[in-house]
Amino acid sequence: MVKKQNKRIEKKEDILLNILHEEQDKKGYISIEAMKRISTEYQIPISRIYGVVKFYTMLRTEPQGKYIIELCGSPTCVLNESREIEKFLEKELNIKIGETTKDKMFSVYKTSCIGCCDEPPAMLLNGKPVTKLTLERVKKLLNELKKK
Amino acid sequence: MQILRQTNLEALKLAKELGPEKVLQILERKALVGRGGASFPLAKKWKLALDAKKKNTNKNNSKDIYLICNADEGEPGTFKDKFILKNNPETLIEGILIAAYTLNAKKAFIYLRNEYEFLLNDLENTIKSLLKKSKMENKVEIKIVRGAGAYICGEETAIMQSIMGYRGQSQYKPPYPTEQGLWESPTVLNNVETLTCVPQALLYDDWNPNLRLFSASGDIENPGIYEWELGVKMSTILDTVKPKQEIKALSFGCFGGIMPINKNTLVTTETICEEDCQHGAFTIIFIGKNRNIVDICLSIAKFYTYESCGKCTPCREGTIRILNLLKKVRDKKATPADLELLKELSQHIKETSLCGLGQSSTNHILTSLEHFKPDYMEYIKK
Repeated sequence: MVKKQNKRIEKKEDILLNILHEEQDKKGYISIEAMKRISTEYQIPISRIYGVVKFYTMLRTEPQGKYIIELCGSPTCVLNESREIEKFLEKELNIKIGETTKDKMFSVYKTSCIGCCDEPPAMLLNGKPVTKLTLERVKKLLNELKKK
Repeated sequence: MQILRQTNLEALKLAKELGPEKVLQILERKALVGRGGASFPLAKKWKLALDAKKKNTNKNNSKDIYLICNADEGEPGTFKDKFILKNNPETLIEGILIAAYTLNAKKAFIYLRNEYEFLLNDLENTIKSLLKKSKMENKVEIKIVRGAGAYICGEETAIMQSIMGYRGQSQYKPPYPTEQGLWESPTVLNNVETLTCVPQALLYDDWNPNLRLFSASGDIENPGIYEWELGVKMSTILDTVKPKQEIKALSFGCFGGIMPINKNTLVTTETICEEDCQHGAFTIIFIGKNRNIVDICLSIAKFYTYESCGKCTPCREGTIRILNLLKKVRDKKATPADLELLKELSQHIKETSLCGLGQSSTNHILTSLEHFKPDYMEYIKK
């Protein structure tokens, strides 16, 4: 019994956050099944994994859209009319912030600050910054993505 | 810019010739202080960790020092570390190698915020190539840990929880990280800018400790990263950033507070925000005179309700109450008594929160209530 318990210690090399990111990079989100698998493989209690996943806003537990938009909500972007972009995205995609479109094309989130304060307003599109947003630019971008 | 000077592994070579003690002496003499916001002397921090290690060894409990490079630059309006990661990652990695050599650390972590995920591949390649060039592949491992959108993980105890695979919540101090950090080993945490300064300070005789990176944004024509010497006049800054409209206030990130602008201020660590404000890492969001400060405060309050880690009650519950009160003000439903409540609650949260996040989460309210009361009164029910 004691031996079995010794095996349950995760190694310091196993950075849980990196493991979870890897899973999300592959599948787009971290399902309960994936959490169970990681729990068995690395001998980490599932309760802890679930707690960690739920703590970090950029780890998702539901299937995501093909394109993930994370709009910056920092004061600098707000000073540069990011709220207009937010309203426009919600209207154009017919979803609220935090939701995914029915056709699973777009998920839209708001983040605290993406560090693009020199080119506001800005957002991340699948992790890459798109800056100096205008309503026209966002409209054009959405249309292009819809066609892909 | 001084921060962009390359050192091409010459500083590492010099460090190895001099030996750890000399390196610490030089860094102390050059007055290199932390650039993450707290301005803690770098050599002192490294010595604390070395002393802790020595103490452990005397108790037959020898543990290697861990090094963490904090690249979780989450403070809204701050983007200087991104600037370094993009434009001078080689010198940063050399700084990590010098730190690892001096501290005899076998493992270093770079905690990279996931908002900078697009820098990940380049950074990994730089690490690989510099480890190879410096022949330190077998001596130190540099591992990138990807953050996942939690602002609190820029705080030193939270970042360690996060690396160890837990929720990134802050912990009580002491023990301080230099005594008992990652896996109870002495741990040194340094910011990206600080570590980039290490090789530059070692190698160049004319290295100036008073040059600081400023992140400027807001109602200005020329937002960006600037390098100014401490003591620079506010009017010089304004001439460079070119306001789009007359500037009435400066917000120092979200946590620093909001202050009226004074064109004659000489910006130093002490005077940038005077006594009731925190300068942090020289983040300045310029706010034009057409803005109502309450609207700015509302976006900052939203930020704090979103980013509170939920561990301690004053921050978890208080930030929500603050946001609700501000919404009441904006909706013109508040009375002067609500402003009193806002002030009292802000003071309580500041005094009773566990970590820096909670303690600074109401700076914007306290400073703006003091300096921009008319903006609030504009919204108060008559």
